[in-house]
Amino acid sequence: MADRLLFTKTGRARYISHLDLMRTFQRTFSRAKIPIKHTEGFNPHPFVSIALPLSVGFSSQCEILEFGLLEGTSHEEVPERLTAAMPEGIIVHRCYPAERKLKELRYVNYIMTFDYPEGRPQETEPAMAALLGRESLVVKKKSNKAKAGFTEVDIIPLVRSWRMECQSDTMMVDLVTSAQNPGLNPDLIRAAFCAEYPEYTPDFVTFHRRDVLDGEGKAFR
Amino acid sequence: MNRTLEYILPKVQKPARYTGGEYNAVVKDKREVDIRYALCFPDTYEIGMSNLGCRILYGVMNQRPDVWCERCFAPWGDMEEEMRREGLLLYGLESGDPIADFDIIGFSLGYEMAYTNVLNMLDLAGLALRSADRPDFSPLVVAGGTCCYNPEPLAPFVDFFVLGEGEEVTLEYIDLYRQARDEGWSKEEFLLEAAKIEGIYVPSLYEPVYRPDGTLESVDIKPGSGAMETVTKRIVQDMDKAYFPVKTIIPSTEIVHDRVMLELFRGCIRGCRFCQAGYAYRPVRSRSPELLAKYGKEAIEDSGYQEMTLSSLSSTDYPDLLPLCDDLLDYCAPRDIGLSLPSLRADTFSMSLMERLQRVRRGGLTFAPEAGTQRLRDAINKNLREEDLLTSCRTAFAGGWSGVKLYFMLGLPTETDEDVLGIADLARKVYFTWREYSPNKARGVRITVSTSWFVPKPHTAFQWEAQIPVEEYQRRVNLLRDALKRDKSITYNWHDPQTSYLEAILSRGDRRLADVLEWVWAHGGKMDSWTEYFDYQRWLDGLAACGLDGGFYAHRERGRGEVFPWCRLSTGVSTDFLWREREACYQSVTTPDCRTRCSGCGANKLLEGGRTCG
Repeated sequence: MADRLLFTKTGRARYISHLDLMRTFQRTFSRAKIPIKHTEGFNPHPFVSIALPLSVGFSSQCEILEFGLLEGTSHEEVPERLTAAMPEGIIVHRCYPAERKLKELRYVNYIMTFDYPEGRPQETEPAMAALLGRESLVVKKKSNKAKAGFTEVDIIPLVRSWRMECQSDTMMVDLVTSAQNPGLNPDLIRAAFCAEYPEYTPDFVTFHRRDVLDGEGKAFR
Repeated sequence: MNRTLEYILPKVQKPARYTGGEYNAVVKDKREVDIRYALCFPDTYEIGMSNLGCRILYGVMNQRPDVWCERCFAPWGDMEEEMRREGLLLYGLESGDPIADFDIIGFSLGYEMAYTNVLNMLDLAGLALRSADRPDFSPLVVAGGTCCYNPEPLAPFVDFFVLGEGEEVTLEYIDLYRQARDEGWSKEEFLLEAAKIEGIYVPSLYEPVYRPDGTLESVDIKPGSGAMETVTKRIVQDMDKAYFPVKTIIPSTEIVHDRVMLELFRGCIRGCRFCQAGYAYRPVRSRSPELLAKYGKEAIEDSGYQEMTLSSLSSTDYPDLLPLCDDLLDYCAPRDIGLSLPSLRADTFSMSLMERLQRVRRGGLTFAPEAGTQRLRDAINKNLREEDLLTSCRTAFAGGWSGVKLYFMLGLPTETDEDVLGIADLARKVYFTWREYSPNKARGVRITVSTSWFVPKPHTAFQWEAQIPVEEYQRRVNLLRDALKRDKSITYNWHDPQTSYLEAILSRGDRRLADVLEWVWAHGGKMDSWTEYFDYQRWLDGLAACGLDGGFYAHRERGRGEVFPWCRLSTGVSTDFLWREREACYQSVTTPDCRTRCSGCGANKLLEGGRTCG
């Protein structure tokens, strides 16, 4: 089976897109002089694959990248050597042989923070609770495949659990969503909230991926 | 990261362009540096980060512990809109600090259509556009790059221009700046002193005097300023001692030239009469192959790039090209690193080289014969023979290539309809070569002929020439299009004449065009090299509003005695030589390349200790 990296993507690195991040990893393995497996075929290139693509602008402390470590490098030395050759904001924590299949990755824990620098209206908390407490919440989602340019998706069945923590100027939603087939981008919840309650639209929302979980709600690695 | 920036970034396209933080980006402690420098490129991140000159200057400045050089690019429209709405001033990518607070702001000027971006970036920085409206000592606004060989349209906006290669002179003016700041000089006092540094042109110390017909009577030196009669460009004397950016920023997002760039030499031995780079970058100075091979390998190791390209004006003219390529190939091939060689001449030597380099057959090859007949190629001193081109095509087609792009210019001096039709003939000969030598005709062939509209440039043999009128250009395009109509395997593309006309105006323009630039900018002009933003009518309106005639700049032939707006600036190549070259053009007489025989252009005088070019 393949090898995996567990890494953090924060700060300025949040804005590196999925494709750019894969290219960055390919180059970083090369400059850190860590030989990895290449794809086969006409135009071989270093093979890297990111378990769950992260939206541009989101931060994460639990990103997983799959690759194949070639002989000559031990797992233990990879994190430090890679991190040293990375752009600012990407920190590799662990390198280990994969022990379970990626499809066992079932849920994602996101922290969504709504910012109200001028003060948070009291009503935002019950509003969000009402929204997430619905039986069904069908929203439009952009899609390049669908003819209409969007598809419809029901948010509620894709949210496994949620809780909130509010301060005078922030509303933090701690959210566990379905990870794949289908997954849920928490930005859809922000959009639904702002559409439903335009008067409570926050100045800004940050998204942080805190953990990826298996079917039992334990950390997936 | 700045909070406002964090708010903005999720709303714009490709936000990684605006964050900095890339591998090898230089971050210093601002309390420990003495000089903050903003190296500005007046185009997008993707274009600016591909510029080797900027990478060199970034490295040269940041090697100094007391200087912190940061980068700054023109934001795309969506980003600009957000910045203006949120009141976020243009900032250095490394620190995020507003560049208006820096000591020096330096622009790289490579092409005329970026001029409006210079104004827009000054405005986004929160600075007054005109030098005279920025009385404060800092930030100084300076500019370098090829356009500075005639910077007059930008003269009122920039405090001083730097002519030639910046490796040394940049540090010299930084030192002078620091002395001036520490001793409390005024901006005027500083500029008077800066004008004494070779290669620095302070436009406010020169006053153009116009005749009633709009031509220049003279460009006068401000009395008592002590400014130089002629400002001559700076060059690096020894390329083996010059800084090379082995360790350089690796962008986290895709840029235009996303690979290791290995600069073989500066200058060009060929002397094509239309080519500004060919004259302006003289004399030829090469790096040693051993050093290049070392730099190339080190740069690959540090960057993790899988591709390397050799860069120069004409790579085939590098004397040690074969041993260098062999050396690099020994390193690259086992590591799956691609080595590419642009700027090859269409001769047999280059083709055998290409075959060795490219293990994978690419779709197409590009050649630039520039003119369709031997007579006109001789007239412009493009010393490429038809036999050479056809032999190259033969080798290429026999070797499996199935496409050739051919680049030409229309409107070159002395061009006749015969020359225009000669382009069609040449393209057909290339087609017949394919029919004869292609091993696999079923695949078909793509021959692309592209023509651009010739723009006469300052400091070339054609600086006195008129650009042909647009109607005439269009007629020649139609002539060629009709001639190629029946050839289904030949595609003909022609360059839109609008930007070429504006380039012809700006490249030989005078200081009065500054008003046009400001007008165009004030009416929304920016990113003029992008079709998304370019608006031709806006430029025509700007010229009209300022009472200037574009034809005066673009379409007027100048006499031998013409006082040029750039008459105070020298590339080291003498005007007499350029005039002789022009006369040789009208006699279709070629000039040998610099290695075959020195033609006495004068640029060798820039070399210290009477060394010869090479």
